Amino acid sequence: MKAFLLNLDRRVIFVFVALGIVIPSLAPVRMPIPITKDVQAIYDTIEDVGAKNGTVLISFDYGPSAKPEVQPMALSVLRHCFRNQIKVIGMSHIPTSVGLAQRAFETAAKEYGAQYGEDYTFLGFKPGGGSLVINMGSDFHGAFQKDLRGSDTAELSVTKNIRGLADFAYVICLASGNTPDGLWIPYGQERYKFKFGLGCTAVMAPDQYPYLQSGQMNGMMGGLAGAAEYETLINASGKATAGMGAQSFVHLIIICFIVLGNVMFFLYGRQKGGAQ
Amino acid sequence: MLFLRRTLPLIIAFVMGVIGILCFYIPHSAAESLELELTKWDRIVAAFALVLGIYSLMRLHWTRVRRQNPGWGYSFLVFVGFAIMTLFAIYNDGQGPLNPQEIDTGPFVWMYNNVQVPADATMFSILAFFIASAAYRTFRARTPEAAILLVSAIIVMIGRVPIGAAIYHALPDLAQWMMDVPNLAAKRGILLGVSLGAVATALRIIFGIERSYLGGGEE
Repeated sequence: MKAFLLNLDRRVIFVFVALGIVIPSLAPVRMPIPITKDVQAIYDTIEDVGAKNGTVLISFDYGPSAKPEVQPMALSVLRHCFRNQIKVIGMSHIPTSVGLAQRAFETAAKEYGAQYGEDYTFLGFKPGGGSLVINMGSDFHGAFQKDLRGSDTAELSVTKNIRGLADFAYVICLASGNTPDGLWIPYGQERYKFKFGLGCTAVMAPDQYPYLQSGQMNGMMGGLAGAAEYETLINASGKATAGMGAQSFVHLIIICFIVLGNVMFFLYGRQKGGAQ
Repeated sequence: MLFLRRTLPLIIAFVMGVIGILCFYIPHSAAESLELELTKWDRIVAAFALVLGIYSLMRLHWTRVRRQNPGWGYSFLVFVGFAIMTLFAIYNDGQGPLNPQEIDTGPFVWMYNNVQVPADATMFSILAFFIASAAYRTFRARTPEAAILLVSAIIVMIGRVPIGAAIYHALPDLAQWMMDVPNLAAKRGILLGVSLGAVATALRIIFGIERSYLGGGEE
């Protein structure tokens, strides 16, 4: 037994992790989801934007690999915006996110009867990174002359009154890379002083706290837990809320293995110069 | 040739770097117009860089296929995938390459939704299994610092998921405090160091001290 635990086959751990995912997914365990202040801040800002008839810009900066974590955020934010009759403009710094953004728009617009061109549009991907953000800041129609469907942004109802980034009541970046702290904050928020919120993968979240404290970012959804919090706030349980059971149990399983590994290390491993 | 390969790029980097810095600090319409113009140029260059990136990727994998390096079959698949998606993009669900890209239906959209999205998401999801295995083997309280890290990680891991609140009501608040205070302090310190390093590197590039971006080809 001692030898088995000291040299635990990785496949045993894989089986436990798989069971921790599959069982709560098949037999959902509903637990109350506590709301953090950073997620609440995004929700409150969108409520405020709705009251003032503002327009929201969403930058879809994540690829398919981050879909399980970030796509529920995109759907929740779009649902919240369309429910409050907020106009939404989407764009992307990453080419592989275009299809995901398109699907999120279609799903949410269908649910709330939002009309393309009147209530929302998607501009698609453009290269340029920081330069694109600076262009959008001073000449929005110049940066995106046409949207993804080929409509002229200077004539489209939802975009015609937007001159630059400062005209947006709120800018939200949904990211799985360095676009929030690498592009949107230094080239956008710092220069044009718009309100900025972030939805990102869990591994990115700890890096963003300096921007939250400085006020350059007013709210953040981090990982699947952040997405589940937002779903709870808008009373629309989706894939993120459903995934919380699996995530909770897998975290517990990993912690149990870490504790077991340390117990074995202190009991036997140190005598042999460290566990294997 | 030395002028074109080294001197001219150094002059361009110096001039553009200095103009970029000056434009940022001069709140005048002329400086803003110049900056706007330069950023448009930058976006055009970035679009060409995509083409260069594709060329570089293809050349790398072609070399692997030609030399039949270990795993060359995967490199061959890069060409298959690239060719299929390019053909589907040109086909554009029967509308041809001159019309706006069809974004709702067609084989290009089908391949994206049914091959790329699930494949990418699966690759990323597999990380959970490897992280669990790696955590069991390496996450050991060998030193007091490692023990602090271990306890912090456990508190954050359990405090960020709903079961944390079910186990102990104060765990989410404790996890949030760890992110807001110790994590923030460490991240800000790292960020300041990285930013100062970035400024130093930018100045070295502008003044031609750092030249590695010119490449190391024969002169």
